[in-house]
Parts: sequence; C-alpha cells; structure tokens
Amino acid sequence: MNLIEALTIINQSAPDDAGTLEAFLACGFTPLHLQTFLAAHLRQRSPQRKVQVKTGLFGDLAGNIERLHGANSELLFVVIEWRDLDPRLGIRDLGGWRTEDLPDIVGTLKRALSRLEKALWRASASIPTYVCLPTLPLPPLFVTPTYQAGGYELQLRQSVASFAESVSRESSVRILNAQLLAELSPPSARLDVRSELTAGFPYRLPHASVIAELLATLAQNPTPKKGLITDLDDTLWAGILGEVGTEGVSWNLDQHSHVHGLYQQFLSSLASAGVLIAVASKNDRTLVEQVFERKDLLISKENVYPFEVHWGRKSESAGRILKTWNIGAEDVVFIDDSPMEVAEVKAVFPGMECIVFPTNDYQAIWDLTKRLRDLFGKSVISEEDAIRQQSIRSAEVLRESMDVSGGSLDEFLQNADAVVRFTFGKQPGDGRAFELINKTNQFNLNGKRLSDAAWMSYLSDPATFLMTVTYEDKYGPLGKIAALLGKLQGKLIRVDSWVMSCRAFSRRIEHQSLAQLFEKFDAEEICFDYHATPRNGPLQEFFVGLLGAPLPAASGLGFLKADFLEKCQSLHQRVEVVSG
Amino acid sequence: MVEMEDRLMRCFSAVFPALTAEQIRASSPEFLSAWDSLTAVTLAAVLDEEFGLQINPADLPDPATFEAVQNHIRTHRASS
Repeated sequence: MNLIEALTIINQSAPDDAGTLEAFLACGFTPLHLQTFLAAHLRQRSPQRKVQVKTGLFGDLAGNIERLHGANSELLFVVIEWRDLDPRLGIRDLGGWRTEDLPDIVGTLKRALSRLEKALWRASASIPTYVCLPTLPLPPLFVTPTYQAGGYELQLRQSVASFAESVSRESSVRILNAQLLAELSPPSARLDVRSELTAGFPYRLPHASVIAELLATLAQNPTPKKGLITDLDDTLWAGILGEVGTEGVSWNLDQHSHVHGLYQQFLSSLASAGVLIAVASKNDRTLVEQVFERKDLLISKENVYPFEVHWGRKSESAGRILKTWNIGAEDVVFIDDSPMEVAEVKAVFPGMECIVFPTNDYQAIWDLTKRLRDLFGKSVISEEDAIRQQSIRSAEVLRESMDVSGGSLDEFLQNADAVVRFTFGKQPGDGRAFELINKTNQFNLNGKRLSDAAWMSYLSDPATFLMTVTYEDKYGPLGKIAALLGKLQGKLIRVDSWVMSCRAFSRRIEHQSLAQLFEKFDAEEICFDYHATPRNGPLQEFFVGLLGAPLPAASGLGFLKADFLEKCQSLHQRVEVVSG
Repeated sequence: MVEMEDRLMRCFSAVFPALTAEQIRASSPEFLSAWDSLTAVTLAAVLDEEFGLQINPADLPDPATFEAVQNHIRTHRASS
C-alpha cells in the first residue's frame, strides 16, 4: 500500500451508523505516515467501522503508554525504536558516541526497557497490545567495523530480546515477528535519514507501510483452520505406492525426496498443536497400513484420523472426513499433488482451501510450510488441542457402537461415568473460552465473534459472568468444551454468548448447563440473545426441543425455570462446580 | 501534460480530501486554511511517491499551491 492509497482509504466515508474503532499508537517519534498507514490497514480489515488512531507525545514512548490507563482505546500498538531506549542510539540527539559512553548506554537501555515492561504489563491488563521491537539499524557508534558484531551491540540486542520474551508471556501481548518483517522490508531500506532529521519521522514509506500492515494483521488474529486432509503418493512421500511398494516410497536425502520428510515433520508438528490430520488417497489400504508401520515415517499413524483409502472420488473422502470431524469445509485445508484432484474437491467444497502439493519444487514446498503455518498458527496450545483427535476417535467409536447395538442415548449416558465441571470465573487470559466463542459455529447462540478488546471489555464489567464447562467420561476427556457469557439482573439471567464444541454433542451437557445456571444464581428466568445463523442448526434443534414448538421468527427467546425443568431430559452426569 | 496534472491533482486530493479540485486549483481560502506544516510533510511524501521527487518539506513554497508545485515539477524535469 502506498501513501496515496492509504490516504484514500482513510478518507472513504463509513456508514452513518458505523461505530468507531479507536486505537492508540504509542511511539517516541512523530507518528506521521505510520499513523496514516495503520489507520488504513485497520480500516481495510474493519470496513464497517470508522477508525481513529490516536497518538501521544513526541519522545516519550513509555510515558505515552503509562498515561493510557482508563482511555477508551480498543487496541494498543507500541512501536519501539532504539532511540526510545536511549536517545544516543538515534541520530537526532548528539549525546555522545565515545567509547566510555557505551557502558552507560547499555545501562540506560536496560532501565528504559524495565520501565517499558511495567507500563506494558499495566496497559495490557485492559487493552490488547501489539508490540514492534526496534526495526532500524543501530548507528555506527561501536568501535568494531560494521561487519563485526561487538560486545556492547550484542548486549543491547540481548536486552531487547529478553524484554520481548518476558512481555510475550502476557496473553494479551503479541510481538511482531522480526523475521517476517525482514523478509518484507529489508533492513537496509528502512531508515530515512532526511525525514528523521527534518520531520522526526525515521521510516521510509514502504517500511512504515509494512510495519502497519503486520501490526494490523497481528491485531486481526484470523481464526486458524482446524484440519488438514493430505494425499499420500508424491505428497506425504515420494513415489507411487502401488508401483514401487512399501519400501520403495521415500522421504530422504539419498533419494532426493527429503522435502517429503519435511512435509511429514511439519504435519506431525501441526498434529501436536491440535490440528486434525486425515488422509484421502486412492490407494491399496493394506499397503498404506504397511507404510504407516515403517519406523522412519515422521508422522505417526496415531496422529492421523480418519484414513480414507480407496479408489473412490476424493470429494467423497473429504465429505466423510468432514462428517467424522464434524466441522465445516471452510475450516479445512486439502493438499494433493494432482491439480485434477484438487479441482474436483474444490468444485464440491468451494469454501475449502485446496492446495496443489508442489512435488518437485523445493522452494515452493518451503513456501507451502510457511503458508500452512499462517493458516493453522495460534498463540497458545491448550489442553484441548492435545486431546482433540482422541475425543473425535472416541465419539466415532461410540456412534458406531450405538448404531450396532441399537442402544438408547439414555442407556449410554447412564453408563458413561460422565463428570461435568462448571467453572465460574472471569479470566481474560482464558484463551480456550475465547477461542471457543470465536471458532464455534454449530452450537452457537448467535454467531457473534468477539475481538480481543471486546472480550476484555466484557469481562471487566462487574455485572457479567463467564461460565466454562469441562467434560470427561470413561471414554476419555473432552477438555473445556463450552463457554457462556451472561449478566445477572436480579432473578433474571441474560445470556449474550453461548457456544459448545461439536465434539460434546449428544451428551446433554447443554441441558446440564442451563440447570446449573438456574441453580448457581437462584434465577427464575433465562433470556438468550438468540439469532438464527446459517450454521447454528444444532443449537436451534436444542431450543426447539425445549420449547416444544418452532422458534420465534424474531431474535431472542427465554425460559422460565419451571418450564425448563418440566421439559429437561434426564441428566446422568456427576456435576462439579468451581468458583474462580 | 494533462496526465501530469491529473496525477498531481490525485496527490493534492489525497492530502486535502475535504476540498474540491476547483478549490485546490484556485488556492481558495479553504485551501489556505487547510495548509499547515503537517500537510506540507504529507504532500512532500506523496509527491516523492508519485513523481520520485525528493522534496524537503521545508523547501516547498508556503503554502505549496497547486500551481507552485506544478511549476516545481516542470523545473525539476527540465533540469534532470
């Protein structure tokens, strides 16, 4: 984006009823074009809102953050440069670059970072915060030649790295990735000496644009994909299994097939982060099972579920996998080396991200792993990520056994030894509850998503509560599978958000949740901010079951306690309640 | 020449979104009241981007009218 485009974007009128997204850009230099670019990139990501980017005082980065307490900003962007940590590390101040100044510069920088860290902790408690570490080159103040890294320079960089690692532990702080920034904006093309000296703005325009774009992306935090379906021949490994046999397929340096090993290793990494991995392959199932017994395969067969191995269409395989996972096509990536297979799946599932595996292009495979990391990347790995695939396997086994035995749901639930744990406590750092609200589609009260800022703001309201639900039965734990946000008004509970993972369906956890709400708050009525969405059919079915009648066309509905208890089906779980 | 004028007007319109082309071209009172040091810096950056001119904002006429900038660009092109 260039500056004219940015100005054009921010000058576009917003709808009359558009709310304003207010962000604060904390920096120690004149914000000038960075402010413009940031407003434009935020506006591009929130076209229905006006965007206002506020800034603070020149030369007082830490003070700008400290004074922010109680401000209305939804987002805080902090752009640090070396001169904010000691003015002698910039070029506008002539404080001295003598050899004897260097230890003092290191000391000053450490104190500045300490102050900044405290300011960030305080600010990020109420505002989601996005930090860009120093991006400009250090001036040539060290005694070493520019091609040699000297001790003082390394101390400065180490101090900044330690500071970044420390603040990144805060769940509401995210650090912009310097490696990606370097790819998009080469370090040698960042500093604008004339602009810094004449206007106090140190960046060349392309660099300012890239920083703003990455910060806006960091704040946008796209919802990660949930599952990946992979082909096998010439994708997970090199070679056609049916032609070369179990020992003939390869993924090693000797046979120039190492990139397939990298791909396996990458899928294993995704699986360990809770991403669902499945196979869709036109192949001989027995041979595939034999390859997955090989000790040198870098992804375990336990990490893959289900295997769709047969000679039918790939789209049929993908459809069955989606059904087993119980997620939508738009949450899934499909990878196959055949452009024809990719096109066939894409035609049936237009919402699915379908990618041709670039078998013989080493660089493209490297780029593919980076693209996949962006599609599946998440800030933290939760307990639920670790058990997701196991619980899907359990659910499938249960479904099959109930189909075979013809057993009733009541019978199954009675014998499940289920424990449901309800936790009432408002922890803004509860990443799993936040993730559930922003990822769940099917059992979702209204489809509303919450930004980091809206989440923190909701929880900071004394009138609100957050209830999370954790489930376990004799078939294994499901982890934290539901979250409910609401307000208590006397004997009335208003539920603003209610989501439950599809893995937890058919266990009457939703019934138990309402029963617990009535009991916990001694309430007489619950009102829901219900809205029908194209995908919340399971939630609608639940409400229809309770009402015994079609849902009202208008949004919103509610139940009296007496009516609920009359309609509620028998519950067999043991309940634990934890107050946070 | 017309193309250069259009590009220049695009630059001015981006920096002065509330003004019409007429007001910009005629250095109207609205233009004069919108002119300040911040717009000078922004206009210099936009001109650099659009025409590849490295203009020091302090070297721009105060105010930098459409006509003055147009002449500046012509002079720069003639000398380079």
